[in-house]
Amino acid sequence: MMRSGIALILAAAVVLPLALSGNAYYSGLAAYAAILGLFGLSVNLTVGYLGYISFGHAAFYGLGAYAAGLLVTKRGFNFWLALLLAPLPAAALGALVGFASARVGGAYFAIATLTTAEILRLVAANWMDMTRGPLGLLVQRPRVAAIESFGLVFHQYYLAICLLVLALSLEIVRRLIKSPVGRSWATIRESSALAESLGMPAVRQRVVNIALSGALAGLAGALFVPRTLVLTPELFSPTLSATGLLIAILGGKATLFGPLLGGLTFALLPEVLRFIDEYRIAIFALVLLLVVRLQPSGLVAFIPRLRGDVVKAPAFPAGDPALQFRPAETLSATGLTRRFGGLTAVEDISLAIAPRELVGIIGPNGAGKTTCLSLLSGFLSPSEGAVTFGGVTISDGAPHAAARSGLIRTFQQTAVTPRNSVYENVLAATYNRQPEHVWACLIQNAAYRKREAQRAAQAMACIALVGLRHRADDLAGSLPYGELKMLSIAAALAANPRLLLLDEPAAGLNHTEANQLSVLLRKLRDLGLTVGVIDHNLRMMMALCDRIIVLDRGRLLASGSAAEVRANPAVIKAYLGPGWNKGDAHALS
Amino acid sequence: MTELIAQQLLNGLTQGMAYALVALGLTMIFGVLHVINFAHGEFYMLGGLAAVLGVTTAGLPYALAIALAVVTVSIVAWLVDRIAVAPVLDTRDGPATVLLTTFAVSLLIHQAVLQSWGPAPGRIDGLPGAISFGSIVLGYQRLLVLVAGIALLAGIEFVLRRMAIGRKVRAIAQSAYAAQVVGIDIITVRRVTFIAAAALAGLTGALLVPVTLFSPAMGQHVIINAFVIVVIGGMGSPIGAVVCGLLLGVLEALASTVVPQEIGTAIIYALLLAALLVRPQGLFGSVRT
Repeated sequence: MMRSGIALILAAAVVLPLALSGNAYYSGLAAYAAILGLFGLSVNLTVGYLGYISFGHAAFYGLGAYAAGLLVTKRGFNFWLALLLAPLPAAALGALVGFASARVGGAYFAIATLTTAEILRLVAANWMDMTRGPLGLLVQRPRVAAIESFGLVFHQYYLAICLLVLALSLEIVRRLIKSPVGRSWATIRESSALAESLGMPAVRQRVVNIALSGALAGLAGALFVPRTLVLTPELFSPTLSATGLLIAILGGKATLFGPLLGGLTFALLPEVLRFIDEYRIAIFALVLLLVVRLQPSGLVAFIPRLRGDVVKAPAFPAGDPALQFRPAETLSATGLTRRFGGLTAVEDISLAIAPRELVGIIGPNGAGKTTCLSLLSGFLSPSEGAVTFGGVTISDGAPHAAARSGLIRTFQQTAVTPRNSVYENVLAATYNRQPEHVWACLIQNAAYRKREAQRAAQAMACIALVGLRHRADDLAGSLPYGELKMLSIAAALAANPRLLLLDEPAAGLNHTEANQLSVLLRKLRDLGLTVGVIDHNLRMMMALCDRIIVLDRGRLLASGSAAEVRANPAVIKAYLGPGWNKGDAHALS
Repeated sequence: MTELIAQQLLNGLTQGMAYALVALGLTMIFGVLHVINFAHGEFYMLGGLAAVLGVTTAGLPYALAIALAVVTVSIVAWLVDRIAVAPVLDTRDGPATVLLTTFAVSLLIHQAVLQSWGPAPGRIDGLPGAISFGSIVLGYQRLLVLVAGIALLAGIEFVLRRMAIGRKVRAIAQSAYAAQVVGIDIITVRRVTFIAAAALAGLTGALLVPVTLFSPAMGQHVIINAFVIVVIGGMGSPIGAVVCGLLLGVLEALASTVVPQEIGTAIIYALLLAALLVRPQGLFGSVRT
């Protein structure tokens, strides 16, 4: 569907200019709709796919327009060449604004874009030598004699080019959102902790998204130049930013074709309803409020076919799923201490997990188990001590770097992307197998397509392994609790772990489900995976683990086989309190 | 020259007090509701408008016009909370949605005032008279802004530290979930915080219009400056809002003696980007995503 939509626009690029040959007004309007659609597509990248609201996308749009205009007037460039270069400064600005705000969150992005657009507006208005300020920069109509010799007039080939650029941009976005990079955006949008745990560098992927969005907005701005021919600081106006935002939201967030509907609406409405011009902004605001409150999925909700393709799970490979795990290294911690203010959650813990071991970490509430796991997986930096995996220190890198080296963790509070299917969730997690460069995702050569097929097969194998075959196409948000836990394990497996750290995987599971989990963990160990498990379910842990590490009040209390730990007086005391009797020890079995 | 700088310093402190109070409200809403109220500047503008209309149209004395401003803005804020904040706060993507709805509300309020009042500035007289130190003049109205500002800050500090509602506010700012567990009615506390912060902005607007003139655009100007302040000061940090608000007012006033106003504005906005690049959690804040 998405492809045929793009093909349709390509067809329109040929047919419309001919059909509208005698009608410059309508063809200009169609070109403007394409430009606004492109602008909406760009806003939708951050607003829809990243969940970052932008109040200043006019910064990128205006920068693109001015870049093209200045290249033509000051440097004597051919406009159509300048059109190709104009997205570059906008992309750089996007990367800068993205980097400034992506480390702290979406609210900062909204504020940073707003002020960036204001800065550029003020610069454009006051740098008279360069921009002529409010008088405006005049650009000649970029006519192409070679095309006109075929009998085409300017408005015809201008429309054709606008539609071509739009189709090309749609194809770029379509390829990206179906690639590992685009799938990582969905995970990052849901939870950057989840994304990092699966090896996705959240800040970097956000910056990539925002830079691309800036480039597309800059392209839209540059395309607008032949229509306006006078570049004024109003190109950076908040009204334009608001228009872009509204196009994306009215059309339909996180859909490929929604912004086109929005762009069409915004090109046509002011023409049809000229009398509303005075109240235009008020009406925009009212529409925005109504859409957000009443129809958050936007106009595409009324045309389901435009919503985009549903990613269907491929057929399962016959037989038992073939999953192989890379051989692990030894994970070792030395003198690990972590303080939160005055509280010492973990104190001087040294431990090691050898390859192919299945180790349990137990301890009463508040023993520091989860803090310990976060330290081991690179999610927390230790106050003292270090964690190494195969000799490489992981404790001061970002969490995704730990995941990259094969150290994958899960979370106590199950994290998935609920609006995506089980298959999509697990497929997104295959990101870590071989991170793809953006260019590879755009070009999609044979080697890339082969890797995509492998990723799909791996995702299916992981789903089958945890027993969710029958659920592959269901929305993750619709799964019952036990299956949700299994899904998060499937995602962790898809991220190509060498050592898997599970944070309370059995919490809240009933007896049958806990048994299934035990069977699965043993199977993983037999397949060559090293596993560390934190849990409260002592009965399961004692039966399951090769070795058990006991923590109490932040300190390492004991380590050994289930029988050794069970007989250890210090352990019994920690669990049962000082007044225990020998006869009570069976409570630990 | 020294007199000019001292005079600008004094003027900057008045404006800075206004920034501090508006930014304080913004940061309080962020602390309790974890959202950015984009319409916060419009509450400031509405406060100014209500004071102007109170004095000129209704013929009220200035003191009563201030009271009118507080009441009017509180009612508008209650409505905004009912329509645009409370119903969407706990939905999926709540914070992003509130950003959008309050953005829409800010445009609506601004347009409504533009259509009814027009773009022209409005002026009223506050407290007449002034004290002078040599050639440096401090109008009584500016003095009122400073004194009232300090009294308000002390009052807010007292409420937050000593009163039950203040303790609830601080509890929710730390963890809404834990606050709910111990039985704090977070819905009510959120609403009270939102309306109180808006009333504070309205009061500030009413205090400032005799000094700076009323203009329908004053809300948009102050909100961006308030954003700069809370980002540099640390989102959710009251100390950061007050310190950076005062600093920004002084900086703006001093800059106006050296560079044209628009350039000064651009430089202040650029400070925000620089602060985000160098210290994204702000001077007084801890990282919160």
